[in-house]
Amino acid sequence: MANIAAQRIKREFKEVIKSEEVAKCAIRVELLNDCYTELRGEIAGPPDTPYEGGTFVLDIKVPETYPFNPPKVKFLTKIWHPNISSVTGAICLDILKDQWAAAMTLRTVLLSLQALLSAAEPDDPQDAVVAKQYKENNEMFQITARHWTNVYAGGPNVNKDCDDKIKTLADMGVEEHQARVALSSYDWELQRATEQLFS
Amino acid sequence: MSGVTENLKSSQEPNKERQDPDSSDTPDEEKKDDRIFECNICLDTAKDAVVSMCGHLFCWPCLHQWLETRPNRQVCPVCKASISKEKVVPLYGRGSSKQEDPREKVPPRPAGQRTEPEPGSAFSGFGFADNGFHMSFGIGAFPFGFFTSTFNFGDARPTAAARGTQQHMEEQFLSKIFLWMAILFVAWLLLA
Ligand SMILES: [Zn+2]
Ligand SMILES: [Zn+2]
Repeated sequence: MANIAAQRIKREFKEVIKSEEVAKCAIRVELLNDCYTELRGEIAGPPDTPYEGGTFVLDIKVPETYPFNPPKVKFLTKIWHPNISSVTGAICLDILKDQWAAAMTLRTVLLSLQALLSAAEPDDPQDAVVAKQYKENNEMFQITARHWTNVYAGGPNVNKDCDDKIKTLADMGVEEHQARVALSSYDWELQRATEQLFS
Repeated sequence: MSGVTENLKSSQEPNKERQDPDSSDTPDEEKKDDRIFECNICLDTAKDAVVSMCGHLFCWPCLHQWLETRPNRQVCPVCKASISKEKVVPLYGRGSSKQEDPREKVPPRPAGQRTEPEPGSAFSGFGFADNGFHMSFGIGAFPFGFFTSTFNFGDARPTAAARGTQQHMEEQFLSKIFLWMAILFVAWLLLA
């Protein structure tokens, strides 16, 4: 019966390859091993979001009990989003947990994740800091998410102000990503970020 | 019997191979036709097919495992409508079912529900004879009531089961069991 998992991923893999979303470069799947248990997914940041123009890489692990249980998916590309951990890439999405249904496929999972990037659910957060910013200072959230997309996902929008502040902290000996996290968490206030880093 | 099945199987094998979606030389058109009979869980052609009340097709073993995985959330794997084991309809396609009875497999597939048409007046006589047969068990003179009823039963049948058929054997077996029960009952009465 465990064979059903490999058999299904095989079929799904072909389905994704032939799908129109792949033709439009919106999603992509790649096999990492011959036994169809580990895959690499890719989704394009949806238009009219801070993620536009970025490519987000996902780690997909297929359990032996698939498709009766959902695949384990997390973001490998660092992303600033209320429902995705900015630290681990863990995703809070109901269909990857209790709302999973056996007829869902790699394709529907990737499309759901893309939809999650378009419509965050800050009331069911994975990353509390991001969710708080999303709700209380949405403008700052948009700036931060777009900056992260530029730096980690190859997005086109360079933010000079963000880069300068990170450089300032880097000159003080702070590691670049650490500086970015601190600044992002404190609405890009250099003073507060510095305090937090050196306290 | 098994030889025939074996032959049938082997003659179908190359055909099956050709329709396998894995083989790259299959035309896309043909594949699309096959896909509507694919199980929504294993994505293969549905085996021991059942259909939910919401109209979604599954292999019975696949759906059964899905329902077992989430006992407290029984929903359709496709549309998430609530479903239950009792409310799925088995599909008996022509030529699709193998010779073996699917109910002998684990887990057993739920049987189709069919309502018998209203019995015509010509058949009511048999109905009564049948009732008489069952009622005679309640009478005190059990062994005698039993024998008479068996003979009545035999007479009332429009066509007695032919010798050597499955039905005949079963009847023989049953009457033997009842005979022994009767003997034991009498013995018990005498001893008590
Ligand atoms: Zn199936
Ligand atoms: Zn359904």
